[in-house]
Amino acid sequence: MNTTMKATMAQCKAELLRTLRNKRFVFFSVIMPVAFFFLFTSTMDNRKIGNVDWSAYYLMSMTVYGVIGASLTSFAQRISKERSQGWIRLLRITPLPASSYIFSKLATQGFINLFIILNMFIVGGLGKHINLPAAAWLESGLWIWIGGFSFMSLGVLLGSMRNPDAVQVITLIVYMGLSILGGLWFPTTSMSSTMQTIAKFTPTYRLGQGAWNVIGGSAIDWSGVGILAAYVIVFMLLSSYIMKRQEAV
Amino acid sequence: MNAAIQLEKLTKIYKGIRAVDEMSLTVEAGTVVALLGPNGAGKTTAISMILGLQEPTSGKVKLLGGDPRDQKIRNRIGAMLQEVSVIDNLKVSETIDLFRHYYANPLALEQLLLISGLQGEKDKMATALSGGQQRRLGFALAAAGDPEVIFLDEPTVGMDVASRQLFWDTVRAMATRGKTVVLTTHYLEEADNLADRIVVINHGKVIADGTPSEIKANTTGRVISFTAGAAVTTESLQALPGVTDVEWNGKRVKLFSPNTDSLIAALVQQRIDMRDIEIQSGGLEDAFQALVQSANG
Repeated sequence: MNTTMKATMAQCKAELLRTLRNKRFVFFSVIMPVAFFFLFTSTMDNRKIGNVDWSAYYLMSMTVYGVIGASLTSFAQRISKERSQGWIRLLRITPLPASSYIFSKLATQGFINLFIILNMFIVGGLGKHINLPAAAWLESGLWIWIGGFSFMSLGVLLGSMRNPDAVQVITLIVYMGLSILGGLWFPTTSMSSTMQTIAKFTPTYRLGQGAWNVIGGSAIDWSGVGILAAYVIVFMLLSSYIMKRQEAV
Repeated sequence: MNAAIQLEKLTKIYKGIRAVDEMSLTVEAGTVVALLGPNGAGKTTAISMILGLQEPTSGKVKLLGGDPRDQKIRNRIGAMLQEVSVIDNLKVSETIDLFRHYYANPLALEQLLLISGLQGEKDKMATALSGGQQRRLGFALAAAGDPEVIFLDEPTVGMDVASRQLFWDTVRAMATRGKTVVLTTHYLEEADNLADRIVVINHGKVIADGTPSEIKANTTGRVISFTAGAAVTTESLQALPGVTDVEWNGKRVKLFSPNTDSLIAALVQQRIDMRDIEIQSGGLEDAFQALVQSANG
């Protein structure tokens, strides 16, 4: 193995350790989605959303909620800390290539998101005896996994703020706000029509929608994919603009 | 001779201010150089450009004969920057180990813990370290790749006396192994203690360059002090050869001169009424103040 590969592996390992030791990550992405899932499928049993059982529908909602939480609470916080503490400056003088740094962030987030999805599917699926065809499990899981990367762009944008305390508060507001508005906590069908219209424009709803559609037997909504992609582009443009301006000072 | 660093008319203009102004400097491999200067003199800006962290407005930088942004060059350097804290949720040993993996020929973890004096703290979270300990961790990270050239920007700020001593010993050991060390400091004692060469910088320009004793000799020189008899006057003292300044403190008088050897001979020859004679080398502190003041004026 050459030095760059070893460095990239070490970087991935360090990112993973930092995430698993982050109490916010464990709370928002592991404990809270599982707890919410069991709480709201026990109190509101035997319902259907469209043609989908409530427990299967809500399992998708909470899995999406956990995956988004990993990008917003822990990933954004790591980015912000690295930037505010001069860490990125220090890395720039080491032989670690910028591509290895970015790759390790993506690979680690991919691994973590996969872990959240498997954790939810196994704990929730077995705990509530959810019956879905194997293809539906696989496709919904893949959709959430691939779509979940899009929230890294929002994580970078939130992480571009220099003040780590502000990042924590604002991230939490954005995370909770988008999750509730996007129908991850309570389905959009229980909302007023105005709120339903607003929900359709949130990236959280669009990530959830793909999974809900897959388990309902319908196709992925491509306009939803388009809206999610548009958000990614806007977030990336905004964060690169902010970071350039910060560097110019 | 092998040049570790070559600067050619290096200039950086920030918002109309010349932070670094046509600085030309060559640092030979294997030397310990201290960049000395007041806050805002341009030391950190110069180092940032040498490391490729900032783009020069004009002029050239060569580090180990190449471009500092080249991965091959970065593998041979290390740096301890200012305003770099530690990363969250990693232990001391994990942080050092991460950096060791960036380099082709790293030093052993145990050795890095030893030279930074962090063996007792290796299983602590890096964020739980004190300010001085965090600086020492920064030093371990700078040394992780066994660099040929190591940059230390204000390395001992926040370190206690014992840590500073250990740090100095380590830097001296690196120098004996043929490493090039570039440090910036405003602790004059540090520059005097460690460096083979001192480059004094003010307003982005090099205003003096030489060994610590050269720097001292060329400015305030040395001091002869004694308790003077009643007949001794300022006029008679100023008439002596080589006296640059006379300072009174009660009956105690201080004579400043670049050459105290001939001055003491003249004092004895002219039978000046003296008791309790002392000859001191002027401190680097005085030399530094004199240099900066004359450059300002």
